Amino acid sequence: MNGAELHLLRSCSHWVLFALSVVFVPPLCLGIIRKTKARLQNRIGPPLFQPLFDILKLCRKGETLSSTMSGTFRISTVVVFATMLVLAWMTPWLCFKPWSPNADLFLIVYLFALARVFTLLGALDSGSAFGAFGASREVTLGLLVEPALLLGLVALGIFCGSSDLRLVFAYSPLQSTGVSGAPGIWLLVGVSILLSSLVELSRMPVDDPTTHLELTMVHEAMVLEASGRNLALIEFAHALRMSILFGLSAQCFVHAAAAVWRMSPLTQGILNIAGIGLIAISVGVLESLSVKLQWRKVPEFVAYVVSMSLLAALVAAGSGVTKL
Amino acid sequence: MRNYAIALLDDRIEAGLHGNLLMKSAEIILGTVVLLTLAAVAAFVLSHQKKLSNRLMSFLLCALAASSLAALLGTGFQQFTYVTPAPFLLGVFPMSFRLDGLSRLFVGLLSLILFSAGLFSTGYLKHLEGRISSGLYWTTFLLFSLSMFGVVLSGDAITFIVMWEIMSLSSAALVGSDHSHHLVQKSALIYLSATRIASGLLCGGFLWMHSLCGSWSFVDWNFGTAQAIFPALLILIGFCIKAGIWPFHIWLPYAYPAAPATVSAVMSGFMSKISIYGLIRILVQGGLYAPEIINLAFFLGAISAFWGVLFALVQNDLKRLLAYSSIENIGLILLALAIALKARAANLPIVADIAMTAAVFHCLNHGLVKSLLFLCAGAVDSQAHTRDLHKLGGLAKKMPWTMACFFLGSFSMCSIPPLNGFASKWLIYQSLFQSAMLNVSYIERGIALATICLLSAVGALAIATFVKAMGVGFLGTSRSTMAEHAQEASAGMRASQSLLVVMCAGLGVFASSAVKFISQLSLLSRDSAASTAVDFPLSIPLLTGLLVVTCLIVYLLFLESSKVRIFKTWDCGFGALSTKTQASSDSFAQPLARIFRPFLRYETNSTIKGRDRRHFPEEITVEVKIVSILESRIYLPSLAVISLGAKGLAKLQAGSIHLYLIYVCSTLVILLLVGTAL
Repeated sequence: MNGAELHLLRSCSHWVLFALSVVFVPPLCLGIIRKTKARLQNRIGPPLFQPLFDILKLCRKGETLSSTMSGTFRISTVVVFATMLVLAWMTPWLCFKPWSPNADLFLIVYLFALARVFTLLGALDSGSAFGAFGASREVTLGLLVEPALLLGLVALGIFCGSSDLRLVFAYSPLQSTGVSGAPGIWLLVGVSILLSSLVELSRMPVDDPTTHLELTMVHEAMVLEASGRNLALIEFAHALRMSILFGLSAQCFVHAAAAVWRMSPLTQGILNIAGIGLIAISVGVLESLSVKLQWRKVPEFVAYVVSMSLLAALVAAGSGVTKL
Repeated sequence: MRNYAIALLDDRIEAGLHGNLLMKSAEIILGTVVLLTLAAVAAFVLSHQKKLSNRLMSFLLCALAASSLAALLGTGFQQFTYVTPAPFLLGVFPMSFRLDGLSRLFVGLLSLILFSAGLFSTGYLKHLEGRISSGLYWTTFLLFSLSMFGVVLSGDAITFIVMWEIMSLSSAALVGSDHSHHLVQKSALIYLSATRIASGLLCGGFLWMHSLCGSWSFVDWNFGTAQAIFPALLILIGFCIKAGIWPFHIWLPYAYPAAPATVSAVMSGFMSKISIYGLIRILVQGGLYAPEIINLAFFLGAISAFWGVLFALVQNDLKRLLAYSSIENIGLILLALAIALKARAANLPIVADIAMTAAVFHCLNHGLVKSLLFLCAGAVDSQAHTRDLHKLGGLAKKMPWTMACFFLGSFSMCSIPPLNGFASKWLIYQSLFQSAMLNVSYIERGIALATICLLSAVGALAIATFVKAMGVGFLGTSRSTMAEHAQEASAGMRASQSLLVVMCAGLGVFASSAVKFISQLSLLSRDSAASTAVDFPLSIPLLTGLLVVTCLIVYLLFLESSKVRIFKTWDCGFGALSTKTQASSDSFAQPLARIFRPFLRYETNSTIKGRDRRHFPEEITVEVKIVSILESRIYLPSLAVISLGAKGLAKLQAGSIHLYLIYVCSTLVILLLVGTAL
C-alpha cells in the first residue's frame, strides 16, 4: 500500500469508528449510569443497552401531540437532534475523529445554546405549566453554567494559543512542543467541565432525572409532552449531549495523563473511551450517594464550578504561554 | 461652470466617465437629503389628505431610501468632501459634508432601515388612525430621516450639531405623536430633557475642541494631547446619554415604547448607533489615547450590557423589553470600542482591528435586528391591540409569518449561529480572547477573562429574555380575547419584516465577507492604508448547509412518516386547563429575578384566601414589584433638588420693576468691580 491509500484507509476507519461511537456511546453512557445505580442498590438492573432498546421501541410508536401546539414543537425536536449531530461531528470529544471544520470554542458553546433555545421553545409550545416551569429553570441553569463551561474552554484555548478546539485537543503538536506539560490546568478544566455538564444535563445534584413530577424539575419536565418518535429523538439528543460533554472532560483527563506519561495514539483512544465509561460510573456512584440539592442552593454549587474555571483560566493566562 | 464643487480628496480617481459616475452617486446621496426636506414640506402641505399622504409619503420614503442605497453601491471606496456654496451658509460658516468608508456604511444601514420602515408604514398607520396626526407624523418623520443622513454625512462640528439638533427635536416630536396618553406625554418630556443635556454637553465639548485646535472640521481635531481629556469626556458623556448607556439610560425605556413602532425601529435601529458613529468619527479617529476616558467607556459599556439585559428579562411590555435589550447591545458596542482603544494604546494592532470591526459590525447587526423586532412588535400591537405579555400568547397560529420573523430576530439577538448576531458577538469574544493571550500586563489579561465571563452571562440572560418573549408572547394559548382575535399582519408589513430577516441571515451566513469588508474601511484612523483585513475563520456557510440538510434528513426519516394523534395538553387528570395555568411572563423570569434580587430590588407578595385555603383557595393574587435603584434613589431625588432650587430662584422674579432695576444696577457694579480687579 502506498501513502495515499493508507491515508484513505485511515480516514475511512476514522469515519466508521466515529459513526459507531455516535450511535453506541450515548445509550451506553446512560446504560452504565443506570447499571451502576442498580448495582449500588443491590439490584441486577437493566441490560447495558436498554436505553438503545427503549429508543428503538419508541421509534415504532405513534406520536401524540397537543391541540394547542403549533409546528414549533416538532421543528424544535428536529433542530435539537440535528444540532447535536453536527456538534458531535465538530467537537473533539473523541480523539479518533474524522476531518471537521474549525471547532471554535465560542461557536461550540453557542451551538449548544442553539440546541437549548429550541428545547425551551418546544417546552413552551404546548402552553403546559410543566414545560414552562422546566424551561424557566433550564434558562436559570443555563445562565449559571454557561460562564463555567466557556471559561473552562477559554482556559484551554489560552493555554494552547488558539480558540480552535481541534488544535487545543490535538495530541502530537502539543507533545512535541511540550505545551501539555501542565497537567494541573487540564485536570482543573476537566473537573470543571464535568461538574458543569452535570448542571447542563440536569442530573444530580441539581435535578433528579429518574423520577417523575415532584422531584424532576428541569429536563424531564420540559419534554413531558413528547411521545413516540419525537421522544426518541429528544432522548437520543440528550444522551448525545451527555456523551459530548463527558467526552470533552475525559479528553482533558487523558491530556493530563499524557503530560506525565508518554502514550501512543491507540492507548489514548482506548483511554478516551474508557474515560467516558469511568465518568459515567462515577456519575452513577454520585447519584446513588448524594441527594438532590435544594433549588435555592444550586447557585452555590455552580459558584464552585465557575471559580474552578476562573482559576484555570487565570493560571493559563498567567503562565505566559505565547502562540504556538 | 457648476455652482458647487465636489472636491475629491483622493487623487487616484481619474477624471472621465468613471469619475463622473462617482460624482453622480455622491450627488444622489446628498440629493436624497434635499429631496427628503422637500418631501417633509409636501407632507406638511398634504396633512389633510390622510390616506393619500400616508401612501405617498411611504412610497417617497422607500424610493428615496432605495435610491440612496443604489447610489451608495455606485460610489466605490473613494472619499468625497462637499462644501455648500455661498447662499447656503449657516450664518457665516459653510456646511460641509463628507462621504467616506465609515459614513458609507452607516448611510447604507440607515437606507435599509428607512426602506423597511416605509414599507411597514402603510399597513401600520391604520392602527394609529385617529390617535396621531398624519401630517405632523410624516413631516417630523421625514425631517428625522433627513437629519440622520445629515449627521452621518456631516464633515464638521457645526453641520453635525445642526443636524443633531434637528434629529433630537424631530424624534422627540415623534415620540410624543400619540400624545393623548399621559404616559406618552411624560415619555416625550423625559426624552426631550435627555436630548437637551446630551446636546449641551456635545456643544461644550465641540467649543472646547475648537478653541484647542482652531478648526471646526473633524479632520483637524486631535485628541492625543493632554488638554483634550476634558472635551473628550464631555463628548463621550454626551454621546452616551443619547445612546442610552448606563447610568444615562432611563429615558430609553420610556421613549421607545411610547413612539409608534416605525419610529422606535428607526430610533433603536439607527439613532442609537449615531452616537457610536460620533464616537468613532470624533474620538477614535481623533486619536484618543487617554486611559482614563477609555477605561470609563469600558466600564460603562460592560455595566450597560449587564444592566440592560437584566432589566429586559423582567419586563412585561414587549417594546419595553426590546428597549432594555437595546441598552444591552449599545453597551456591548461601546465595550468593543473601548477594547479597540485599549488595544491601540497597548500597541496590539491585531486586537484593535478585531474589536473595532466587532463594534461596527455589531452596530450593523443590531440595527437590522432591532428594527426587525420593533416592527414585529408593532405588527403584534396593531393586530392584538396590546403589547402586554400577560395578555398575549397563542399568536403562533394567528400570525405565523410575524412569529417566524420575530423568532429569527430573537435568535439573532441571542447570538445563535448562523445568524448575524453570533458573528459580531464572536468578534467581541475573539478580541477579548486575543487580549487575554497577548496583553503584556497580567491585570489586563485578568480583566479580559472577567469580561468574557460577564459576556457569557449576558448572553445567557439574553437567551432567557428572548425565550420569554417568544414563548410567552407567541406560543401556548391566548391569554386574552384581544390576542385570540388577532390576524396576520398586512402584506407590506410582512414584506418589510422579511426583508430585514433576509438581511440578518445573509450577514450571518456570509459573515466572513462582511467582516473583511468592514475591517478594510480604515475605522481606527483617518488614513486609509492603515488597516488590515480581519480574519473570520469559521466556515458558517458549510455549517448552515449542514444544519439545514441534517434537519431535513432527520425530519424525513423520523417524523414525516410517524403516526400523529392530536389530543389535549397533559393536565394531570384534573380536567380542562385554563389559560391561566400557563407560565406568565413574571413566573417565567422569577427564578432568575430571585438570583438578581439585590439589583432589581425584586419582591413578590402573594395572598391566598378562602375558607379552606390550603386545598380549595378561592382567591389567589401574586404581585411582583421591581424598582429601578437608579431612578428611585438617584434621579428622582436629584430632580427634587433641582426643582426645589428652581423654586428658590423663582423668588427672584417677583414681577416688580423696582427690584429688576436693582438687579441690573448691582450686576453692573459687580461687573465693573471685577473688571477693575482683573
